[in-house]
Amino acid sequence: MPFISKIQRQTDYNRFPPSTPIVIDNGASYFRIGWAGETEPRVIFRNIVQRPRHKSTGETVTIVGDHDPALLKYFDCTRSGPRSAFDSNVVFQFEIMEYILDFAFDRLGANGSRIDHPILITECVCNPVYSRSKMAELLFETYGVRSVAFGVDAVFSYKYNQLHGICEKDGLAICPGFTTTHVIPFVDGEPVYKGCCRTNIGGYTDYLKQLLSLKYPHHMARFTWEKVEDLKMEHCYIAPDYALEAQLFQKGGKEAEDKTRCWQLPWVPLPTEEPPSEEEIARKAAIRERQGQRLREMAEAKRSSRINELENQLHGLEFLLQQLGQVQEEDIPSFLSETAKGEPKPEQAENEEKADSCTSDKYPLINVPDNMLTPDQLKEKKRQIFLKTTTEGRQRAKQKCVEEELERERKTQQDEERRLENPQLYLEQMHTKYKELYEKIELRKRLKTNGGHTNGSNSGGVGRGERLNAAQRERMRLLTTAAFDRGKGEDTFGAKDEDWQLYKLMGKDNDDDDDGADEDEAELARVSSRLQEIDSTFVPKLEPTASQPAITEVPHVRPLTKEDFQIVLGVERFRCPEILFHPNLVGIDQVGLDEMTGVSIRRLPSKDKALENRLTSSVFMTGGCSLFPGINERLEAGIRMLRPCGSPIKVARALDPVLDAWRGASLYAANSRFHQQTFSRADYYEKGEDWLRRYQVRYTL
Amino acid sequence: MEAEVIKAELVLPTHMSFKRIQMYGKYPKGQSKVRWKQLKQILQAEICQNYSPDEPNYVNIESPPSMQPCKRICDITGFEAPYHDPRTNLRYANADVFKLVRSLPNEYVQRYLALRKAAVVLR
Repeated sequence: MPFISKIQRQTDYNRFPPSTPIVIDNGASYFRIGWAGETEPRVIFRNIVQRPRHKSTGETVTIVGDHDPALLKYFDCTRSGPRSAFDSNVVFQFEIMEYILDFAFDRLGANGSRIDHPILITECVCNPVYSRSKMAELLFETYGVRSVAFGVDAVFSYKYNQLHGICEKDGLAICPGFTTTHVIPFVDGEPVYKGCCRTNIGGYTDYLKQLLSLKYPHHMARFTWEKVEDLKMEHCYIAPDYALEAQLFQKGGKEAEDKTRCWQLPWVPLPTEEPPSEEEIARKAAIRERQGQRLREMAEAKRSSRINELENQLHGLEFLLQQLGQVQEEDIPSFLSETAKGEPKPEQAENEEKADSCTSDKYPLINVPDNMLTPDQLKEKKRQIFLKTTTEGRQRAKQKCVEEELERERKTQQDEERRLENPQLYLEQMHTKYKELYEKIELRKRLKTNGGHTNGSNSGGVGRGERLNAAQRERMRLLTTAAFDRGKGEDTFGAKDEDWQLYKLMGKDNDDDDDGADEDEAELARVSSRLQEIDSTFVPKLEPTASQPAITEVPHVRPLTKEDFQIVLGVERFRCPEILFHPNLVGIDQVGLDEMTGVSIRRLPSKDKALENRLTSSVFMTGGCSLFPGINERLEAGIRMLRPCGSPIKVARALDPVLDAWRGASLYAANSRFHQQTFSRADYYEKGEDWLRRYQVRYTL
Repeated sequence: MEAEVIKAELVLPTHMSFKRIQMYGKYPKGQSKVRWKQLKQILQAEICQNYSPDEPNYVNIESPPSMQPCKRICDITGFEAPYHDPRTNLRYANADVFKLVRSLPNEYVQRYLALRKAAVVLR
């Protein structure tokens, strides 16, 4: 990991006299603090704070920086994510800032009642005065610092490298940082803030993290921020031309293979189940057959017992008939009770016979005309008429039943004949019929569920015309006609009783539909059972369940292989740094790195061709994001596109883009004239905010 | 506190000798009740101050929109994407990717769009 945190407590705090400044590089990613004049900062840590609760004691503690995750298991970190004091490179959360400063000074070894050293702290370009004043207040009030100076980190880096000859007195500093990217022109060694340019694009670890999580949702838990940052450092590069590289990968040739990196996650191969061996299969088949046989036998036994029963009944009835022929009519009831036939059929027959025999007796009054009867007799007559009609109706119904049965018998006989004469054709016909019926039912079900769904989710709105089925459309039509029938202004629906028949109509519409469905289903069941009997290869399609969802994908149940646990970084390798040059890719509507130089030069107050040439011939890159291979060439090509032909362009990178800012600041603070650039507490309170706003250090001492 | 936690000095101690006012003195009820101003509010306050427009301040130095035509890449694969799906609003490169696009559940579609800041935000 290129960025390492150093948080060892320093012990030599007291060796430094109170005039030695402490240098702080307060960056959005890392916080670096150390003594002026040294080459390395003493303490480095990530600029975040967590406030988890301890699991056993329950108290809320503060943890600054990133730490070994093994130790964090004692704390409940669910409700406390890492928080940063920054909002896009401006400090706004000063409570968090205070925690961080506490930690930093503590690790630097501070003791005593106050921090008795001047402090040089970095800030962003054109820091808002609110942020600046709050920071000054924090340092003065809480820590008792005597004097403070604010500087821009990119400028310090530039000055440091200028001393080392990387860049000239006039030049452009390009600083892609953690949250933002700046371009600052330098004239005569001083930054010209007017020509400064800032784009709100920066460290794209988040982008890479999102891309990978979306591509491999199963392994989302693996993509922690630290791990993704590692990946980014190791594998990302900047393509000289994005379109060409993308085409290369799209073709998928050998060069693309070379450029693809693969990260193998640890995995354990599942113990593979052996495919069932031959014997197993045979055994299972045998079991199944035996079961089938048993079922068939049971069915046979039941059928034969039923046949026996029916035959017995038949014999009994025949015998009865015979006997009845012999015995006289009046003795029937006694005779029947003797033979002790407790079955309902003979009883019914008895009743019917009784009724039949009494027809002529019981309804004598019917034929008698009305005027010859007394009121009692009239009543009697009415009763008899009623009885007669009911019995006649019953008889008619029974006859119809018998006729229907005969009809059905005839049909089945015909079927059998057809089957016997031409089994193949018959089978095909049955199949087609089955399919048709099935489809019809499916369609109706789908329409119904669709209609039901939309109606349900519409919360009562009946305005959607396209997905209503016939019944619902009919209902709507009825409703609207009812509503508009009355004419304007007056709604007399409901005054008359006939109006409510409307709902009966609507209800009936629905019922018709259902009845139709039931009929079809019954037919389908019959056909399928028939097919099952005669055709052994027929498999009835499973009835669709009531809760039929839309097409669901069957999850693959194949065993996970090694490939599933590999993370392949192909296009992502150069897609992520590309956003530095094209912020449009992430939706930020600003210029990219190469165009920013053009904007910056354009904004300079003095338009001097020679100056511009000098600027472009010393383009300096610093900041954490400038570590990617290929960025120099890309930037050079980009700038060349903007500048007139033939202008000198030279792009150089800082010696150590990450630490150079601190080193530059340290050198600056070690200078003897540094104390002239600081301001003290008294200054701050006397001169007020306006002065603070205009306060800028002079970088060339 | 467990022994190794203390040894690693993970936790920030509550009393610092060099501080004039300790944290628990400043914020007696735990975290501060003060709502810090967000960056947007800070910047708005700055703009209201009527400084002269010549002077650079935080808002002045922001860079303008790009003059170059917008580069369209496929949301899923990263290749060049001339096509655009009207239903999900994603960009795709070819027919295979399109199949993938149409089969994505809505959550993923929104996340892809959020990468481009084109997601529908209901607030």
